[in-house]
Amino acid sequence: MSVTEWNSSALVKAATRMGKKKNLLTPMTFSLLHATDFADRLLYKIVPPLKAGMIVLADRYAYTAFSRDAARGVDRQWVRELYSFAVKPDLALYFRVPIEVSIERLMARRVKLKFYEAGMDMGWSGSPVESFRLFQGKVLEEYDRIVDEFGLRVVDASKSITEQQQIVRGIISAELEGLDDSRTGTGD
Amino acid sequence: MTHEPAPETEPPAPDRPQPGRYYGHGLPYAPLDDYPGRIIAIEGTDGVGRSTQIEMLREWLEIRGYGVVETGWTRSALMQPTIDLAKASNTLNKLTFVLLYATDFADRLEKEIIPALKAGFIVLADRYIYTALARAAVRGVDRAWLRSLYGFAIVPHLVFYLKVDVDTVTRRVLESGGMDYWESGMDMKHADDIYDSFRSYQNRLLREYAAMADEFDFAVVDGRRRVETIQADLRRRLEAFLAPAP
Repeated sequence: MSVTEWNSSALVKAATRMGKKKNLLTPMTFSLLHATDFADRLLYKIVPPLKAGMIVLADRYAYTAFSRDAARGVDRQWVRELYSFAVKPDLALYFRVPIEVSIERLMARRVKLKFYEAGMDMGWSGSPVESFRLFQGKVLEEYDRIVDEFGLRVVDASKSITEQQQIVRGIISAELEGLDDSRTGTGD
Repeated sequence: MTHEPAPETEPPAPDRPQPGRYYGHGLPYAPLDDYPGRIIAIEGTDGVGRSTQIEMLREWLEIRGYGVVETGWTRSALMQPTIDLAKASNTLNKLTFVLLYATDFADRLEKEIIPALKAGFIVLADRYIYTALARAAVRGVDRAWLRSLYGFAIVPHLVFYLKVDVDTVTRRVLESGGMDYWESGMDMKHADDIYDSFRSYQNRLLREYAAMADEFDFAVVDGRRRVETIQADLRRRLEAFLAPAP
């Protein structure tokens, strides 16, 4: 098994960090930098374990870009074509929460919302929480489209962690049925 | 979604996009009006003397009262350090290469080119998207995907293509500092010898530019001539283009 996280390639990190720190990114450069990061990880972190018959757990995938970039006003069709080099996942899970729950959790977790995470670059509101609400609202709308378009499996993420985990394990077990254990690379 | 883009594709839609408009899916959040500025792109392989020609054009245009802004490949504040780093470390695969260049272009488009067009400047572009299209295509990246990617680019009002043959490029590059890893296409592993690799790579690039000349309506300029002769040619053509303007 192999895990890959959104926005973690070493190559693009410097540019992304600088762009984010100085709030230099436009919706388009934001989109392209994340696609570059994804392409880099696809080559080094996703395709090799797939070839070795392993399971790749991806913490966010191209769908994050589809929703976030479109929420920022980048052309939907363009983003989809941009990511046409990606491998289509065998299974994509979407943890859906109502916007209020999402805000509550974020507030509980840390003091300050990040500039781009809150969609502050859009200039919709000077208040980070209000900006997040507006931006995240659009992101969730985009996800609803994506769920139908790409057949994402929806998990109700307002349930308890234990309940969610049971649901997720059920879905994944069904998906893995028939796969030989040795091919998943977990070892034991 | 498929993993590797398929190699060959059919070019262009028959109705060409208009200068000053987006090629394809543009930036929906930055609609283009009829801006007074103009984009003049100068394209051509390495060693054709683009920067010399641009410098001379700039001076000439400014004397004639035009405001001029220059923009050049990989010169964006956001991306230049990353691109330099990636080139130096050789870890770049063709797709990340393409996407880094596209990010650089997007940054310059939004921060330099569009504002200059709005303000009525002439934008002299030292290479435009065609260099990226050519370099990626010879490395086997799908041409249709590349054109979709660069659908956010604005169609220039004029594209000068400084055309040379491979013997001329070879001589000029050797005269001015020699062949480097990337412009010799050493990453493509067509030859171990840098000279052979350079010629093979530049030949492929030239074929790619030739195919694009028609697709993108290049004004082809014979780049084998003396600097002054080429400059006179460029000025004559630019004058004809600018005649009805300010």
